[in-house]
Formats: sequence, C-alpha cells, structure tokens
Amino acid sequence: MSARGSRAGRWLSVGLLTVASAAALFPVFWTISTSVKNRVDTFANPPKFVRFAPTAKNYRKLFDSPDFWRIYGDTISITLASTALCVLAGTMAAYALARHRRFPGRRPLEATLVLVRAMPGMVLMIPIYQIVTRLDLYDNRWAMILIYATINLPFAIWLMSGFIEQIPVEVEESARTDGASPVRVFWNIILPLAAPGIAATSIFVALLAWNEFLVPVLLAGQHSKTLPVYISGFISNRTLDWGPMAAASALAIVPIAVFTALIQRRLVGGLSSGAVKE
Amino acid sequence: MAILTLPSWLMLIALFAVPLVVGVYLSTRSDKIGSFVPGRAVGLDNYRRDVFQPGFTGALTVTLVITAIGLLIQFPIGVGLALLLHRNLRGSAVFRTALLLPMLLTPVAVGLMWRFMLDSDLGVINWLLDTVGLSRIGWLGEKWAARVAIALVDSWQSIPFVMLMTLAALSSLPESPHEAARVDGASAWRVFRFVTLPMLRPVLYITVMIRVVDSLKLFDIIFILTKGGPGKATETMGLQAYNVGFVALQTGRAAALGVAVAAVTLPAYVLWLRAQRASQR
Repeated sequence: MSARGSRAGRWLSVGLLTVASAAALFPVFWTISTSVKNRVDTFANPPKFVRFAPTAKNYRKLFDSPDFWRIYGDTISITLASTALCVLAGTMAAYALARHRRFPGRRPLEATLVLVRAMPGMVLMIPIYQIVTRLDLYDNRWAMILIYATINLPFAIWLMSGFIEQIPVEVEESARTDGASPVRVFWNIILPLAAPGIAATSIFVALLAWNEFLVPVLLAGQHSKTLPVYISGFISNRTLDWGPMAAASALAIVPIAVFTALIQRRLVGGLSSGAVKE
Repeated sequence: MAILTLPSWLMLIALFAVPLVVGVYLSTRSDKIGSFVPGRAVGLDNYRRDVFQPGFTGALTVTLVITAIGLLIQFPIGVGLALLLHRNLRGSAVFRTALLLPMLLTPVAVGLMWRFMLDSDLGVINWLLDTVGLSRIGWLGEKWAARVAIALVDSWQSIPFVMLMTLAALSSLPESPHEAARVDGASAWRVFRFVTLPMLRPVLYITVMIRVVDSLKLFDIIFILTKGGPGKATETMGLQAYNVGFVALQTGRAAALGVAVAAVTLPAYVLWLRAQRASQR
C-alpha cells in the first residue's frame, strides 16, 4: 500500500512510530550506558544520559572472574546442542504433519504439542526436578539439553511446517515415482529445499534456548549454570551491584540485538509465514 | 511416515508424558526435598490443604488480573503500530527492526533493567514522572502499582509479537473492500472498524490465545521484578508453586498445585487445539 492520507497524518504516523521505537530501544540503551558508568554516575540525580566519563571497570570485573567465561561458553554450547536436536526432530515431524493428512498418531501428536506449548513450565519442572535428582542427573548439561529441546519442539514444528508447506509437492512426487522411499525423499529432497526455513527456525529456537531461565535455575548447579541464571544471581546480593549486572545483561542481549539487525527480514518472514498460514 | 515423528515422540514421552504422570503421583504423597523422613502416600491431603484454599484462588486471581491488564495494553498498541507500519512510510523498515527487538531479548536481563528503571528513588521512570510534573509511584512496592508494572514489562516484550502477527495478516488482506469503503466516503476510523477489523478477526483470535497462554506461563519477569511481592500481591500460580516446591521444599504439595495449574489452564488448550484444527480445513 502506498502512503496515503494527508501530510499531517503522515507526520503524525512518523511521530508515533518514533516515540514507540524510542520506548522499545531505551531500556537497551540504558543497560549499555549503565554498564559503562561509574557507581557515582549510575546513581546520579538527574540521571546522566550521555555526559559521563565511560569506564570499562564493570566489564573488567566480569572478565576477571573465570566463572564468567565458563558460563558464557556453557550457555553457547547448551544453546547450540539443544537447537540442533530440536530442529532436527522438529523438521522430521513437521514434514510428516505438513505433507500427510493421515498417519498413525497424527491427532495425538498435535494435541500433545499444544499441551507442551501451553502448559506452564512449573507444572512439569516439579516432577522433572525429582526425576533428574533421582537419576543423579542434577547439574548435568545433557539433561538440560534434552529438556530445552523438548520444550521448544512445538514451536520448531509449527514454524517448520509453515516452511515445508511452501515447497512444491511436484518435486517429491517425481522422486517417489522413481521409487525413492519416504525417508529418502525427506533426507535427499526436502532437507536441502527447506534449508532457508531450517536456518530461520534454528535462529528462533536458539534465541529461546539462550533466554531460557526456569529450567537452568532449577536444574543447574555450578557446572552447567547459564547466563540468565548468572545474571539473576546479582539480585540475591544485599546491595544491588548495578554496574556489573548491567554489563552481564549487555553481554546477553547485545549479540541478540546485532543478530536481529542483520537478519530481521528473514525473522519477520519466518514468523509471518506461520501467522498467515490459515 | 509415522517413523519421522519417532524422535519427537521419544522426547515428548520422556520429558512430557512421564513427568506428568510422576507429577500426579507426587501430588498424592508427602515428599519433601532434603528430608530424612521418606515420603508416604497421603491421598488427597495436599489438594485439600493447598488447592481448595484461598491461597490458590488468590494466586489464580493475581494471574488473571496481570493477564487482563497486559492484554489491554498489548493489543491496542500492537495493532496500532501494525497499522502505522502497514502504511509503508519512509523509514518503515528501520522502525520495524527497532520495534521488533524487545521480543527477542533475554527476559531475565529485561526484568533486571526494568527493575532498575522502576526503582522508586533512583529509577529513571520516576525521574521522568517528576520532570513532567506527575507524582512519583512506588512501582514495585505497592500492590496495584506492582501488578501494573509487571503487566507493563511483559507488554513491552510482547507488543512486537502482536504487531508482527497483525502486520502479517494486514499484508495478506485484499485491497478492494477498503477501496470500496473509501470511495463510499467512509472515514478512516469507520474503514478500520467495519472493514479491516472484521477481516483481522481470525488472526487476532489466535494471537489473543497465544498471549493468554504465555501470560499464564509468565515466570522469569515476575521472579526478577517482585518475586511475588509485596506480600502476595503479584504471586501468580507459577510463583506460588515455585515458592511451595523450591523455597518451602514441599514437593508433594507443589506437585498438587502443579496439577491444579494444569487443570485450570485446560480451557486454553482446548480452544487452541480447536482453532488450530479449524485453520487446517
């Protein structure tokens, strides 16, 4: 749709969008600015927005602790492993759901996926905590990777079926008439064609895993702690240490912000394909 | 074909079905974390003690109140922004990227930053209120202010989702009904109210459901902002189960609360599943 309406209307729209964007970006700006402030500037009244001498002290404090690097690395490896597992299993199931109206277990699978997506995490985490501790898997990365992958599975399947539905059916049909088995068709034909969709889905699932809090806060001890749990640890101190806390937060969200700016077109396309499927 | 769903089934059985059964089993027992006395079967005592009590109905009310305030903030703003972006003015792509960002950020980091911004003495929000001549608000320390604050922060993160869903729906709408209404001299508001909005209904319905379900699940932001306080003013069902299970270490009672939470969210699953099946036809 081309720009319509009066000049004044256009200016009003741009004005409103500017205000909204400022509201969306300000907390991010404020996190980054707090992360490079001295204690005095952090608590200054009136607040100091730009006119202060920046310091790297807060970051140095983080980088000096060996814990921080281990936690950052663990968060990356748990995110990557759970994303790979989730997207692989999800793509397979999405192919079955998108291409085959009827197969044994279709309706129970759909119902289970909605339940997993909609059920408040605490409902499952109370028994999972018991199971995990009984099996001696507390503070175990693999247990967390499996749980992350399962809770993100409904979302991965939902996004992937949107992408697979966009692949023309004719390609598969010709392969099948040549005698290829369904699994072969999936592996050799669908997977390569769905690659852009798999990439977009992986990005979303990785974000969810990176941001996950409930699972690691309950199941991670010293050996598998992730960044969100580490950040939340700052509030249990009596005196809130806003500087290092903001620095740790910035290190969690800045990669996301950069990533978003780079790939936003694909992100929007990915979510939209799911939304207007119906 | 069913073979392709096998990995998903294995994961769902091990980490969804089994825990659900274990949860129901635990809810009938007296197990505690770290206790030397082994748990024993107590029948429905946990339910009698915790679920059919003002504590649980209170938490349910808090959850619903925060959800309702959130929806009232998210939908007008989210749909409004989508309509503005849909006009494709110059700079729309930049605005869209900026407006999208909050949805993707780590909720724990978001919660902490807002906690700092909402601080009643040092926070930038109260400074802003002061500057424009309004009175300061004890955001996280007063019952209703804390509920509104949580709904606000959750909305800040979820408006982009509402906006994106609406935007996607808007761009798939046919143009001709709008043209016709405009030619007939309908005002912009009437075109929206009587032409656009009815056509957006199906997508808005699904979006509302996703948002309701996600608000009922909301945990990390509340955990960071208030931990359920002041008092129990923002203690949602999830927070209550957490406090009973992992602060008071009463596994059996927390499991009973978990079963109750699953039960009261049941209407949401049924509606969602029905909407999904309808959209496949």
